[in-house]
Amino acid sequence: MPLYRPGLLHTPVTPFTRERAIDFDRYAKVIEFHLANGAEGLALPMHAGESVSLSDGERRALVEFAIKHVNGRKPVIAHVSETGTAIAAALARHAEEQGATAIVATTPYYWTPPAAMVLEHFVQIGLAVKIPFFLYNAPEEMQGAKVNAELCLELITKLPNFAGVIDLSLDWQFMIELMTNGPRLRPGFQLLAGTELMVSAAAIGATGMLAPLAGIAPRLVRELYDLCRDQKLFEARKVQEQIAGLRQALKPGGVASLKAAMRAMGRDCGEPRPPVLALDAAAYQKLVGELETVTALHAEARDW
Amino acid sequence: MPTKFRGVMQSPVTPFKDDFSLDLPTFERLLDFHVRTGATAISWPHHKGESLNLTIAERKLFAEAAVRVVNGRIPVTIHVSALAVEDTMELARHAQEIGADGILAITPYFWTPSIEAIHGYFVRLCRSIELPVLSYNSPSYLAGVEITGDLISRLIEQLPNFVGVKEASFNSEKFLEISRAALALRPDFAMLTGVEYLLPSVPLGGVGSYSAAGSICPNLCAQLFDACVSGDWPLARELQYKISWLWLLFRDQYPSSLKGGMVMMGRPVGPTRAPLPTATAERQAFIRSELERLGILETEPHGW
Repeated sequence: MPLYRPGLLHTPVTPFTRERAIDFDRYAKVIEFHLANGAEGLALPMHAGESVSLSDGERRALVEFAIKHVNGRKPVIAHVSETGTAIAAALARHAEEQGATAIVATTPYYWTPPAAMVLEHFVQIGLAVKIPFFLYNAPEEMQGAKVNAELCLELITKLPNFAGVIDLSLDWQFMIELMTNGPRLRPGFQLLAGTELMVSAAAIGATGMLAPLAGIAPRLVRELYDLCRDQKLFEARKVQEQIAGLRQALKPGGVASLKAAMRAMGRDCGEPRPPVLALDAAAYQKLVGELETVTALHAEARDW
Repeated sequence: MPTKFRGVMQSPVTPFKDDFSLDLPTFERLLDFHVRTGATAISWPHHKGESLNLTIAERKLFAEAAVRVVNGRIPVTIHVSALAVEDTMELARHAQEIGADGILAITPYFWTPSIEAIHGYFVRLCRSIELPVLSYNSPSYLAGVEITGDLISRLIEQLPNFVGVKEASFNSEKFLEISRAALALRPDFAMLTGVEYLLPSVPLGGVGSYSAAGSICPNLCAQLFDACVSGDWPLARELQYKISWLWLLFRDQYPSSLKGGMVMMGRPVGPTRAPLPTATAERQAFIRSELERLGILETEPHGW
């Protein structure tokens, strides 16, 4: 399999109409915005894209739409995490059939299976396809089963298409243990930062990044990524601190804050689906005020 | 003025005789070993020094020995964290009386105190002495109790002798939360990590670390720090991977295996006090084989 290096992956939000249907016209604009603003690929629908609030049919339709719309201009990575292993594997097969470049999956939702079954979950998803498989390690988002370096290394021996880990643990111990051994077992094995906190990950050896903030601050995201890719890590500190501030402002409200910030930047994508509540007017104004204090945002586009 | 708490600072283990009583002559040799092999400061007794397995009287006795033996060659800080806060206060006063250069204190044990309680604790501690105070953040060992960016800001604004943090979450987001808050208010605030996690922290403003493996491989510690501060990332990665592998060997039942490894380096320091186990002969042999595989037996000093 030729090595696929994802580089900078934007993770688009999923726009909804007032009737809570997927707004595909708006989604096309979102995709165009990302392609025009530094994305080297798209990963969708991630949790920032409200994957867990979409029906199985909608997820398939979204992936099909995105791949058709992107039309080969950049790779599309499909997020196929699910509770049931077979359901996730079926999403993976569907993504491959539609032309996805790779798939990404995290631990099962809700269940807390034993380690051997967590491994089996990933093995079955990975074996369902021939395209590269990336494991998404997000312990703060996923309350149930946990991933450790040992599991990832075992997965390398069981899955020929296991290409790397997208890390949202932000855990130096995990990342270092993984990168001490992963590339030895599989040359080209990759670590990707799971969010825009890349400096430490890049020091450890991360070569790619997922960017949930790219819809809000694509220039800032790109600047951070480029500096990290070029191993200009001291130079990256200032932009890293700015982006950490932005992330800190948006994190408490999760996807509701993300969509509120999209609106504040002139790129309205509607409200999140229930059970996530949209920010109320006061919270929205507070967020707008906080965004004003992030000076780097002044250089970002305020429209599509 | 740049902080004097920087570089790879060594926290000696506590040597015991076979009957588990304090072994003062070996402690003196160990202190001298660390000073001669490049430690930038001494700090005792960390958890690695079995602080919580020592009586308060024993802690005072060896604190006095540390100050006496180091004799001003490098700074000496005393770790004053104790189960009872009143003991911590007493150890802090004692540290000042004997001429130590500073103290280190973790967030209080057991009670899972609120942020307000942690704030009150550090205010009281810092105002009780004139010595510089370093705080210690270790959420994974303390049921999630942790220092926040806001707390750091408040403490810096109120307390002139609150000069640094040992940030041992080993997490990019946490490190950035604290470093952004601290360095904006006090540019010479010492951002330190636990163990030797220098590669992910130095690019973000980290100025040093404490050390797990310094009694095994002082040369490696110094080389890693130099590679990080000079921005030689490929070399720093190689060295960080190596030293972090040692941490994986030592982490479980710390410092049992570390003391076992010291036997293999010709620097025996006796058993580990219960309830921690003492490394068995088999464990020592395994540690030796790993030290051999990593090339440490040939590249690091043997004996005292």
